[in-house]
Amino acid sequence: MAFPISRQKALREWKLYFLILPSLLLVCTFAYFPAASAIYHSFFDWAGGETKQLIGFDNFKRALSDKDLWSSFKTVSILIVFNLFKMIPSIMMAVLIHRVKSDRWQYLYRVMLVVPMIVPSLVTLFIWKFFFDPNMGVLNNILDFTGIKSLLVYFDHVFGWNLFFENAPIGWLSQPGLILPSLFIWGFPWIGAVGVLIYLAGLQSIGQEIYEAAELDGVGPFKKFIYIELPLILTQVRLSLVLLVIGTLQGYGLQLLLLGEAGGAGGRGMVPGLWMYNKAFVAGEFGYACAVGMILFVFILLLTFLNNKYVRVDK
Amino acid sequence: MSTAPKDFVGSHKQKDWPKHLIICAFILIELFPLYMMFQVSFKDNASFLRNPWLPTPPFSVVETRQAADGTETIKTRVADWSEAFSSAKPSDPSVKTAEKSFDLSVYKIKNWNFGLKLIGPYIANTVFVAVTTTFVTLSLAILGAYFFARYKMPFSGVLWSAFLVLMLMPGVANIVPLFSLLKEMSLLNTLWALIIVGVAGGQVFNIFVLRNFIEDLPKDLFEAAEMDGASHIEQIRNVVIPMSGSIIGTLAILCFLGQWNDFLLSLIILRDKELFTLGVGLIYLDGEYVKQWGQMMAAYFIASIPLIVIFLFCMRLFVRGLSAGAVKG
Repeated sequence: MAFPISRQKALREWKLYFLILPSLLLVCTFAYFPAASAIYHSFFDWAGGETKQLIGFDNFKRALSDKDLWSSFKTVSILIVFNLFKMIPSIMMAVLIHRVKSDRWQYLYRVMLVVPMIVPSLVTLFIWKFFFDPNMGVLNNILDFTGIKSLLVYFDHVFGWNLFFENAPIGWLSQPGLILPSLFIWGFPWIGAVGVLIYLAGLQSIGQEIYEAAELDGVGPFKKFIYIELPLILTQVRLSLVLLVIGTLQGYGLQLLLLGEAGGAGGRGMVPGLWMYNKAFVAGEFGYACAVGMILFVFILLLTFLNNKYVRVDK
Repeated sequence: MSTAPKDFVGSHKQKDWPKHLIICAFILIELFPLYMMFQVSFKDNASFLRNPWLPTPPFSVVETRQAADGTETIKTRVADWSEAFSSAKPSDPSVKTAEKSFDLSVYKIKNWNFGLKLIGPYIANTVFVAVTTTFVTLSLAILGAYFFARYKMPFSGVLWSAFLVLMLMPGVANIVPLFSLLKEMSLLNTLWALIIVGVAGGQVFNIFVLRNFIEDLPKDLFEAAEMDGASHIEQIRNVVIPMSGSIIGTLAILCFLGQWNDFLLSLIILRDKELFTLGVGLIYLDGEYVKQWGQMMAAYFIASIPLIVIFLFCMRLFVRGLSAGAVKG
C-alpha cells in the first residue's frame, strides 16, 4: 500500500500533483463532461447545432412508447443468452487442454490458440461477412457440400419456417428470419483465446495428485469437471460473464458492420446501442439519442449494481 | 493385491488421444478463416468459384482446339488438382491437345499489389494513431499510477474513486456528446481527435493495473533512490520503468490492439479519404458493389501483417503474461 504521509511532507511534495494532472484533465474533458452533457441534452430537442429547445421529459416519454427501442431490448436479451451459451466452448477447451498430460503439447496448443488472434477482430468480422455471402460464401458452400442444406429444406417443409428453399441460396444476412441465427452462428466455434488462457491460468493450481486421487475413487470425467475444475475457474467464469453481459448490452459494432445502420432486413438485428447511433447520426435527432443513451445507461448501471451485490467476484 | 497399482497406472495412461482429437478439431476450425483468407487472396472470382476450398495448383494447361473451319485456337487455363498429379486432360471433347506446364503466374499477385495500394495509406494512418496513442497513454498512465502508488497524498482517495467510477460507467451514452465536443474543438476530421480520445479512454484501465503493480514493488528501492537525491521523475525513469517492463509491454500490446481494431469513433469523425484509418477503409471497401474477393482477402491479410509482426516478437510475453497476470489486474 501507499504510505500515508504527513501534511507538512505533503506540502513539500506538492509537485506530485502535476503527475496526475494530465490524466485528470483528459478524463474530465473526455469522460465526465460528455456524460454530464448527455444527461443535460436528453431534456432538449437538439439536432446537434446551436439551436436547441428545452422540452422536459418529452424525449423519455417518446422513448417509453418507442416500439423499435423495446424490440431492440428484446433482441439484445436474446443475444445475451446466445453469448452465454457461447462461453461453453472456451471453458471446455481450457479443461481439455489442461487434462492433456504432456506439458509440451499443452504449450503447443496454447500457441496454436493464440495464432488466430493475429487477424484483427475487424477483419474477422469481414471474413465472416464473406462466409455469409449467399452466392459465393463459404457457409452456403459447406452446407451444400455436406448435404446439410437438404436437411434444412426438409425441416423447413415440416415446420413451415419459410426460410430455406431447394433452389435458392440461403440469404443469411438478408432474410429477416435468419438474422438472429446468423448472429448466433457468427464466430463458430466461439473460442476466445484470451478467455481460454485466463481459464487455464486458473486451472493450473490443481495438482496432479488431486486427479490421481479422483481417479482412484473412480470419478468420471464429467464429475471431475463439476467438483474439481469448475470451482477453481468460477472466479474467472463469473468475471467474463459479467463483462460479457455488459459488453453485449452496450455493444453495437458487430451489428453495424454485419447488418448496417438499420439493423438488417426488417430491423431484426437492431440493438439499443445501434438505435441510439441511428437516431443521432442518421436521423440527426441528437437530443433523443441522448435520452436513449441514458435509458441504456440506467440498465447497465442496474446490472452493475446487481452484479456487485449478488455475483461477488472475489479477488 | 499387487494388481491394483498396475491397474491404476494403466488407467492413467490410456485415453489421451480423444482429447487431442477434439482439441485439434477445434483448433483446425479456428484456423480455417485464416487459411481461407490466405488461399483466396491468390485467386480471382472465377478461379474461386471453380475451386473454393484448395489452393490453386501451380500448373497451367495449354489447350489447342480445332474449330470446324480448320483454324486452330490456343487457350490457357488453370489446372485442377487431379491434373496436377497426373497428366492433363482436355476440358471438352473438341480439344485436340492439352499440355501441362509448371506455372507460377496462376497466383494473382496483382491482388496483393492492389490491396497494398488500396489500404497502404490507411495502414500508415492507423500505425501513426495506434503508436502515438499507445505511447502517450502509457506515459501518462505511468505518471498517474506513480502518484497513486507512491504516497497517500491528501485528496488522492477522492481522485482514485473519481477514476474508478469511470470503470463502471458505460461509454455508450457518451458518443453523441463526444461528437459535438470534438466539433466545438474543431477536431472533427483529424487524426488527433482519435489519439486524444484514445488516450483519455485508456487512462482508467492502465492506471488501475499499473498502480497495483507499482505498489507491489519493494519500497526500499524508492527509499534508496530518494536518499541519493533522485527526483520523482528520476525515480520513475530508473526504478519504476525498468522494474515493470513486462506489465508495460502487455498493456502496450492491448492498447495497440484496441486502437487497431477501433472503427466506431473513426467512422463518425473522419470524412476525408486520405485520413481514413483501417477500420473505416475496410468498411468502405466492403461497400463496393461488385466484390473481387481475392483483392479483398489480400487487403485483409495485409491489414493483419503488423499484428503478425507484433505477435512474432511478443508471443511468449503474451502467452505467459495473460496466463499469469491478467486475472490479478
